[in-house]
Amino acid sequence: MNAATATFSLSRIPSLDKAAVWIVLALLLVVAGLASDAFFNVKYLANLLRQATPIGIVAVGVTFVMLLRGVDLSVGAIVSMSAVACALIMNGKPENLVPALLATVALGAVIGLVNGLLIAYGRVSSFILTLGSSIAIYGLVQMSTGGTARGVVSPGFREVMNSRVLDNMLPVLVICLAAAVAVGLFLQSRTRFGRHVYLIGASPEAARLAGLPVLRVTVAAYVVSGLFAALGGIALLARTGVSGTNPGEGMEFDVLAAVVLGGTTFAGGRGGVGGTFAGVLVLFIALNLANVAGLPFATQLAIKGFIIIAASAAHSWLGRRGSGRTET
Amino acid sequence: MRPARDIVPSIGLQPIHWALLALVIAGTVGVPQFRTLANLTNILEQSATLAVLAIGQSFVIAGGMIDLSVGQLVGLVTVVACMGFEAWPGMGWAVVLLSLALAGGVGLVNGELINRLRMPPLILTFGMLSILQGCIFLLTDRSVGTVSPAISFLATGRVGGVPVSLLLVAAVAFVAWFVLERSVFGWHLLAMGNSAESSRRAGLDLRRLTRLAYLASGLCAGIAAMLVAGRLGTGFPNAGNGLELDAIVAVVLGGMPLKGGKVSIAGVLGAVLLLGVLNNLLNLYQVPAFTQILIKGLIVIAAILADRPGRRAQPA
Repeated sequence: MNAATATFSLSRIPSLDKAAVWIVLALLLVVAGLASDAFFNVKYLANLLRQATPIGIVAVGVTFVMLLRGVDLSVGAIVSMSAVACALIMNGKPENLVPALLATVALGAVIGLVNGLLIAYGRVSSFILTLGSSIAIYGLVQMSTGGTARGVVSPGFREVMNSRVLDNMLPVLVICLAAAVAVGLFLQSRTRFGRHVYLIGASPEAARLAGLPVLRVTVAAYVVSGLFAALGGIALLARTGVSGTNPGEGMEFDVLAAVVLGGTTFAGGRGGVGGTFAGVLVLFIALNLANVAGLPFATQLAIKGFIIIAASAAHSWLGRRGSGRTET
Repeated sequence: MRPARDIVPSIGLQPIHWALLALVIAGTVGVPQFRTLANLTNILEQSATLAVLAIGQSFVIAGGMIDLSVGQLVGLVTVVACMGFEAWPGMGWAVVLLSLALAGGVGLVNGELINRLRMPPLILTFGMLSILQGCIFLLTDRSVGTVSPAISFLATGRVGGVPVSLLLVAAVAFVAWFVLERSVFGWHLLAMGNSAESSRRAGLDLRRLTRLAYLASGLCAGIAAMLVAGRLGTGFPNAGNGLELDAIVAVVLGGMPLKGGKVSIAGVLGAVLLLGVLNNLLNLYQVPAFTQILIKGLIVIAAILADRPGRRAQPA
């Protein structure tokens, strides 16, 4: 490739790569607006965001892992575990609220730490390892609940989290989602950790040779993922008010679809939290439209699978065009 | 051309076989119900589905790829076949052929999409998993249909005390062993697993290898679905949930690295039996179901850690 094309493609096309999910989001909003008059109602949109909050928070954390060419499939199980553990520790008492939240977040971070240590130092496939830890966590959760929903949330927890501020418009949960995205954006673009994640994801070998702390950053990314998954579990508990036995079941599919849609593909080093946020919105609006159109749950499953494949193929195509890379 | 026998490295007896032997001895000594002939035959029969699936997975893993869609493919084929058996009672064989064609077809689609979209097999088959699950629930959300007597005989019948399913597994294993460990195709597939780039430069048709490996994986899922249908007697939509992971774990425990390039059908069969014996012993010991789930997760983690590059046992 000569210098001229390099300049051209590097300056122009990657921006298309980054903008793709926002273009899709804009198109989807137009379609949704045409399909239903009720769509652009503030309350409706706020409610849509409220529904998306747990998955949105989890997806922010998984983005960092996927920027590093990894994946975290244990987040669904961590969400289940966090909702169950948080409700068990709260035990219906107001004074347990803060300890429960802190313990749950710590638990999520510890699981992320174990995942990260095994993946970074064991040099194993993150996909299979986190699938394994997701099964193990699921077993632990079921053992601790005995297979029935237990634990009661502290009084006021659900009420406050589900209330709306600013003229009864903005749900508190949506503020939590915005905060999670803001923290993610800060981590990604304003910290050394974020810079390292991009550099290592783009080329692990070059990063290692350049002396970047590849192993430590990898472990940290899984800790971030576990931590955000625990926060997502707490948000889910706040939204529903009951822990259930496996409330996060299958959530890793939604999260993965959203992150890939947002442009953070398995290739690593490309994408980011902003795209992930747009990906979550695209996913939820698409599934919402499928609901409005009366499509059954089965179709939504198929749509999710299709989105994972199509988004990943589209982004790898845009990426190939953008950087002239031929590898997948 | 020289027979591939001389070139394809044979791994031979794996650590897994010794582990299996130790577990069987421990069970025989420690658990009286374990050593009955009925129980042992039962283990073999129950392991048949996983054995066929793991053999199918060996084809893709040998080439350095993976197929996560096989679990839901088993579910889909089970449901479709049972609906077919009920709708056309006299045409059991046609339904079997149609089911195998469906399974092989999905495998071909996987391979072709990986080729055309140039996508990592992991994502593509992961997406396919979700799509197939959607297809199953579009057809039904509860158990449907029935099975033909021939299929239940295949899955649960005995010939002179030997389970028919065991004979089927032996046949599938022999074909896979021959194709993967004794044929030029297997040699090429392993070369691709060792280094896709070098194999491409050496003039191998990687697209064809990919297509055929996924065809084999799909066909094995179809055969496994027949065994599942025969055992259950009905098309249960969740019949295949999680089977893909069991198959991958068996392959890895059997001594095949996930990055490809090595194959041992004997090792894979040993791992399948080990998992079957372990499951049986846990049940005989009346370990609670939830604890068994935890143990299963830990086994997956242990298996993947044993797969670490650079820690491989040398060929015995």
